[in-house]
Amino acid sequence: MIKLAIKDIRLFFADKRAMILAFLVPIALITLFAFAFGGAGQSKDAPRPTTLVIADEDNTSSSKNVIAELDSLIEFSVSQMSTIDAEHLVMKGNEPAVLVFHKGFGDALNSGGDPPVEFKYDEAKEAEVGILKGALIGNLMRIMGAKSISKNVLKQFDANYPEMDSLARKKIHAQISDNFNSDKVISQSDSFLTSTPLVAEKENSPGLIHAVAGTAIMMLLFSVVGMGASLLDEKQEGTLKKLLYSPLPPNQILYGKMIYANIISICQLSVMFIYARLVFGLDIISHLPALVLMILATAFACSSFGVLIASLAKSRQQVQGMSTLIVLVMSCIGGSMIPTFVMPAFMQKLSVFSVNYWGIQGFYDIFWRMLPIYDHTFLSRIIVLVIIGTVLNILALQMFRRNILKLA
Amino acid sequence: MISVKNLTKNFNAVQALKGISFEIVNGEFYGLLGPNGAGKTTTISIMSTILEPTSGEVIIDGMDLKKNPIACKRIIGVVPQEIALYNDLSAWQNLMFWGSLYNVPDAELKSRIDETLHLLGLHERKDDKIKTYSGGMKRRINIATALLHHPKILFMDEPTAGIDPQSRNLIFEVVEKLHRDGLTIVYTTHYMEEAERFCDRIGIIDKGEIIAQGTLDELKSLSKMKETILVSFTNLTDPLFDKMSSLWNGITRAGDAIHFTSQDVKRDLSTVILKCNEVGLDISGIDIQKINLETIFLNLTGKQLRD
Repeated sequence: MIKLAIKDIRLFFADKRAMILAFLVPIALITLFAFAFGGAGQSKDAPRPTTLVIADEDNTSSSKNVIAELDSLIEFSVSQMSTIDAEHLVMKGNEPAVLVFHKGFGDALNSGGDPPVEFKYDEAKEAEVGILKGALIGNLMRIMGAKSISKNVLKQFDANYPEMDSLARKKIHAQISDNFNSDKVISQSDSFLTSTPLVAEKENSPGLIHAVAGTAIMMLLFSVVGMGASLLDEKQEGTLKKLLYSPLPPNQILYGKMIYANIISICQLSVMFIYARLVFGLDIISHLPALVLMILATAFACSSFGVLIASLAKSRQQVQGMSTLIVLVMSCIGGSMIPTFVMPAFMQKLSVFSVNYWGIQGFYDIFWRMLPIYDHTFLSRIIVLVIIGTVLNILALQMFRRNILKLA
Repeated sequence: MISVKNLTKNFNAVQALKGISFEIVNGEFYGLLGPNGAGKTTTISIMSTILEPTSGEVIIDGMDLKKNPIACKRIIGVVPQEIALYNDLSAWQNLMFWGSLYNVPDAELKSRIDETLHLLGLHERKDDKIKTYSGGMKRRINIATALLHHPKILFMDEPTAGIDPQSRNLIFEVVEKLHRDGLTIVYTTHYMEEAERFCDRIGIIDKGEIIAQGTLDELKSLSKMKETILVSFTNLTDPLFDKMSSLWNGITRAGDAIHFTSQDVKRDLSTVILKCNEVGLDISGIDIQKINLETIFLNLTGKQLRD
């Protein structure tokens, strides 16, 4: 019994694939998830500032002062632009929200009235918006609330005690101002801040879009790797060699596999979205042309990835080992498992190297941001997917040629 | 039909082919014999265009293989050593696929598949998946896939390896018919009886070199071997062996047996028996060892054909 166990342990350690699956894959995933969720890799001394997009329509010294104070805070890095530009960024999914200081902000602040300030946001980025809003309200209240309330109190004090001598009045004014400038005066109320969702069509929930697009792309990647691996089955079973005996130019063997993987990928993605329509009511009919275009581009990029992995490997076992690791990593950083906006900034930067990211963002453009098919943001995602697919196909072709030479 | 000149192939430091040359004429059945690793499959792989030679020249039907690989592929058929079929497709579907790669028109292809399946005795199983076939039946379909485009030259790499006698006999009949029909065939095998039965000429390849080639008779005379009569005894002793040596030139002892070399076994057999009786040797068995491809091969290479 012990001898059997020892023999199996020896075999296990001799099997590199089993070792990779048992140790390297979980280690890689733990590392990734730790970075994505656990804040690993972030500096403990200096918190990362969040970009805060501000549109200053008021353009008075009061609004400028508030903006300058927000910018001086360690939590924020303020980026100012016009309301139209800022809204555009939010609607394209590039920024989660914009803080707009409307005309009359300064007057209202100085007169102790309700300053017109609006928080326009993308509902699809619920978690990110929540964090930003939470940080913003506290600081905004401390900055503007103190100014506004202290002015009101001073005004009322002067009205109640008009006969007070100027020296005493100055002292009391100073005391009141000090009190309102202290950190203790932080209102928990956000009633002064008008919140408006910029991207808030209720017909398709962002959770549903993420579940469908994220899962469909991740599972598609696993499927296409299997399809690509049929090339290795052909090699192992001798049919690839037999194909090479025929007048078929060798490259066409790979093209055939690419076409096969593309067709199945298109079918798989289409079925996933039809299922989401039938079971969850995802509105695919209104966005059919854009959806078809996105499915074609995503299928092309994913199938190219599958064929490349198969061309790199020497056996189906190697494909399985490599693909498990690569697909899981790509899915993790690309947002298939968790939305990219909850990840740290450096992880978000990495996500652009994943097919998942471009596919998921494209489907968000269609179903959440409701971008038209000719919108350049949407089209740019299509172009990136096509470029990824083309580059992967070229690499696959090179690797395939190299493997052919090793056949005999 | 085929001309191979100074063909070499190196795999890194290993020289698999060391400048082999041979010619095969139209309609000839040429056997390539050699032990494992001798270079047979490398030679066939080069001739069938899936492997590039390091140097040398291959001319097929007047075309330089290097310059016209696609045109050459159109006139050759290859029966590979391994059974290369799609197990989850039926025989018919497999044949339709492999035939379609040679651009045979659909109607023509269907008629050829029908004809070939009849020839190979598998027409009734045409719609069954390959995975339900026996090894011998798969081998037959493997051969059929190489015939559908009516090639001028057929390369057959160990086409009968590991199959049942019934399938082997069927394949033999098909191979003989193809030869009768004028197809040029290049055949590699481990079975010397196949080579003796089919081949017009045989090339013996060892360590990447063709060490002899010709008809079976030419190889026999080339080897300068003589047939032997192997007689086993129950009472062979040194004195009796010495006595026998004085009566017969060219005998060698092998344990309890003696090899008698002979120019004509039929003529000498009775004389050997008489001489053995004369010296008082008690015969327990007689075996006539004729010159065949196996012994020639052994003589030329120092190896068994299946080494």
